[in-house]
Amino acid sequence: MAAADSPSTALRRRDLCSRGIRLAGKMRADVVDLLDIYVEQQGLDASASVAAVEGVPLAAVERWDEQTGTQRLLENLAAYRAFRALLAQMLEEQREQLGEADAGLGRALAAVLLQVSAFAYHLEELLRLESRGIPGEEGDGPPPPPRLSLFEQKLRGLGVLRELAQWAVRSARDLRQLAKPSPATGTAPGLAESP
Amino acid sequence: GDPQNLKCVTHNLHKMICSWDISSRGRHGQTDFCYTTNDLTPQVCLKTKERRVEIPVPGSSITVTIKSPGTAFATKEFVIHQKDISFVPVTPHILSLTPDFPTSTLNLKWSDDGSVFPYGLDALWQIQILRKEAMEEVTRVTYYSKLTHEDLILSWNWTSDIPLECTSHYVKIRCYINATQFVGPKDWSGWSPAEVIPGKDTEPGGSGVFPLDTVVAVGSNVTFCCVHEEDQRITNMTYGSKSYTMMQLSSRSHAIRVLNASASQSSGTNVVCRLENGMDGSVVFVGYAPDIPQNLSCETSNFLIIKCTWTPGRPSGLYGKRRTKYSLFERISSKNVSCEVNEMNRDRVCDFPVLPDQKTYDFILDVSNAIGQAQSPSLLVDITQRVHPKPPEKLTITGNNSTSVQLRWFINGSFAGIRLLCQIEVISGHSEKKLHSISMPGGKSSSYTAQLNALNPNTKYQFRVRCSAADHFWRWSDWSRGVEQTTSEA
Repeated sequence: MAAADSPSTALRRRDLCSRGIRLAGKMRADVVDLLDIYVEQQGLDASASVAAVEGVPLAAVERWDEQTGTQRLLENLAAYRAFRALLAQMLEEQREQLGEADAGLGRALAAVLLQVSAFAYHLEELLRLESRGIPGEEGDGPPPPPRLSLFEQKLRGLGVLRELAQWAVRSARDLRQLAKPSPATGTAPGLAESP
Repeated sequence: GDPQNLKCVTHNLHKMICSWDISSRGRHGQTDFCYTTNDLTPQVCLKTKERRVEIPVPGSSITVTIKSPGTAFATKEFVIHQKDISFVPVTPHILSLTPDFPTSTLNLKWSDDGSVFPYGLDALWQIQILRKEAMEEVTRVTYYSKLTHEDLILSWNWTSDIPLECTSHYVKIRCYINATQFVGPKDWSGWSPAEVIPGKDTEPGGSGVFPLDTVVAVGSNVTFCCVHEEDQRITNMTYGSKSYTMMQLSSRSHAIRVLNASASQSSGTNVVCRLENGMDGSVVFVGYAPDIPQNLSCETSNFLIIKCTWTPGRPSGLYGKRRTKYSLFERISSKNVSCEVNEMNRDRVCDFPVLPDQKTYDFILDVSNAIGQAQSPSLLVDITQRVHPKPPEKLTITGNNSTSVQLRWFINGSFAGIRLLCQIEVISGHSEKKLHSISMPGGKSSSYTAQLNALNPNTKYQFRVRCSAADHFWRWSDWSRGVEQTTSEA
């Protein structure tokens, strides 16, 4: 069992967690807005069902409540790194396909990419707080996706944004879990302990 | 058995194949086939077990004697006139059938076997296109050519109204040769064996929506097909937000026909095929061919870069990597420059470098996208007559007394080859405005000075300057920023 935190570490974690929760909330709102723009701009059917997109981490997880704090952070970090690469890919494709048309979508995509990058950095901060090693970024993120047709690219983008919106919700829940004070000591437990 | 029904057919107007029947079941064995043309040439006899022989086509007529084995040698004589001989060209054979999927075009190549025919005969080729598993005829086209006594390879293109991927396409060909000198009956050759271009619906895993990610002109009629697996049931196909009635091409291919396609949004129009357990799709970009660029005009502000502008036509509606591309071609130097143009904003500018020792330029603006291309009328300009300087900079007062001031300014650019004309605007306190013109030799990115006299003492003046080419005026620069100066007391 790891020793309980010093009050300053606990305070710092709670601060990082609450800021992370706010970031996740803002990100979710922006992703939902972006989804509307994306669906309309790509001429898609908002109710279209999209198969799981290769390389996109799924927010849904079994036995969520049994995860340790470290697991939560590491899974979150892996996910947002993947989303960072996927959104960068989408931005590149958007520029290639649309160029100067619909710069609005490009700006909205870039803004969400920025938030995802910021959130990933925030998660690294939390891991550093616990003197946990920050996992290296294997190569340049997920392997380059297979050459997709334009329609498949559109659907993949829809899948990415939908899953990112789910992740924003999950991340907020994860961070709330991390921020919870431990019943015994009244201070937030070390990451290893917090379920 | 008596020989009967003697028929002679020629395939090349030189030789003919004569064949006959035997009235009853005669014994097999050697038949004597003798013939003589009626100009007292000796009779020629051939022995054959077949009931056909190949002999030269006679100039006019021919007497044939056929002795076939039987109880007693049955002998029959025939007189064949040229008018009794049929001319049926040899069945042509297809050399190659090449698909170009992006344009849904088939290219057919075949040999006209012209070397066996006299020079100059007219040949008709009938090309039959068939489709689907049932090989339904789509079209039958007649192609004309002239034989040249050489074997020529003929080539012909056909653009399908549906993507070639959608289902298999077959091609057959036959020919008719209008041998006017030949008096006998003439007929079409047989059809060649069919050449096939298999559709994706014959390929395992060939499913998808076709054409895939293509560009078409506004107003086009386009057929889209959905190739799916055999066991997949297709529920519907939509173009944009509209559902269309489907036509079945094969057990694995359904199609919709979109008429008079309207311009798509920038990300293209989605063509979606919904299946029981999934969906496939393609994107089509419906836009316009580029308009002919109007009002091409070129000028230089510094004798380093020539700036050409033009009036844009209707937006093409194509963006990103499909956007309309512009390039400026200069005929004298044969130099070609591609232009960066943002179709979202209205100004159209293209920069071309001023070339050493070249004053005259003959420009053509080429515009193209996947739908079409256009060219501006050519523009011949002497660049020294198209000088539009930048506004003078760093206008300063370098000297003054009660009745005169000295002005200095800077103009960016190499005007060494021409004379400049500059106008100095003088506004005195009670807004009386005067213009002074001065011309001077141009310099290379240099400063220019001017002195204004006859000013009033103790008076506040505002000065600004603009310049142009002195010889062959084209355009004034914009005004420089103003400077103020009060003349000293007298």
